[in-house]
Amino acid sequence: MAKAIVFEDLKVGDQMPPLVKEPVTLVQLVRYAGASGDFNPLHYDPAVGQKAGFGGVIAQGMLIMGFAGQAISSWIPNRYLRKFKVRFLGLTRLNEVITITGKVVEKREPDRCIMCQVVAKDEKGELKLKGTFEAQLPRL
Amino acid sequence: MNKSIQGKRLAEFHYLVERAKIRELAEAIGDPNPIYRESGEACAEGHPEIIAPPTFGTAINLWGGLGFSEICNQLGANPIRVLHAEQDYEYFEPVCAGEALQCTMTVAGFQVKEGRAGEMHLAVLETIAFNQKGLKVLVGRSTILEKLAEG
Repeated sequence: MAKAIVFEDLKVGDQMPPLVKEPVTLVQLVRYAGASGDFNPLHYDPAVGQKAGFGGVIAQGMLIMGFAGQAISSWIPNRYLRKFKVRFLGLTRLNEVITITGKVVEKREPDRCIMCQVVAKDEKGELKLKGTFEAQLPRL
Repeated sequence: MNKSIQGKRLAEFHYLVERAKIRELAEAIGDPNPIYRESGEACAEGHPEIIAPPTFGTAINLWGGLGFSEICNQLGANPIRVLHAEQDYEYFEPVCAGEALQCTMTVAGFQVKEGRAGEMHLAVLETIAFNQKGLKVLVGRSTILEKLAEG
């Protein structure tokens, strides 16, 4: 359970605790296909991935956004989250190790919102997604 | 796909938020957070039941509304050329297990862009979900991209 966090706890520049995921596996992509309902064969059939020019299967973008969501909600309880938006910038392949980082970029006093950046990269530093989220926090 | 899809209503559907689906999505992501599994943990945070993770909207859309191939079909897009470019969520009320949602999915935008790999078509699919009290709980916007050029 995420620790109780209040608006006063955070300042611009504060880092979200980084999340380092286990390597992406084919089983994970299959499970995510079933869980999410994204049955695009690009994500589990290597022949389709080859044909599409990706050299094999690629992970669902939403799985990587799910990793980012995991990092966010282990830091800030879901009920405080107001907006979460990402752009998918790079493809994720099997065995890649994804790290999620983020930081507070703005604090909005009147409605106690924090605006944060979130980024997903692999072990070589290649960018997978970049996004922002907003959370409305309670006061002390 | 082409600009005739702009404004098209793709689906109108009910979606029952099930405990098992919340857990299944959390497991697939590899997210061990107990608020996706144990009612007690969710109650301690003030929720009546386990709560949906931030990206649960994807399961609502694809299981409750249209699957990936049906979406491509309705948009006239070639599935093998389609990529997910952006995703955007706005959260209004927490989504908890047991809730019955009423959802509509429409094409909220369509754009043609010239990219490095040639012409690309972008469509924004917007899903709005209301709970049984009639409160808006979630808006999701998926921007999907269809590359037209070979390779």
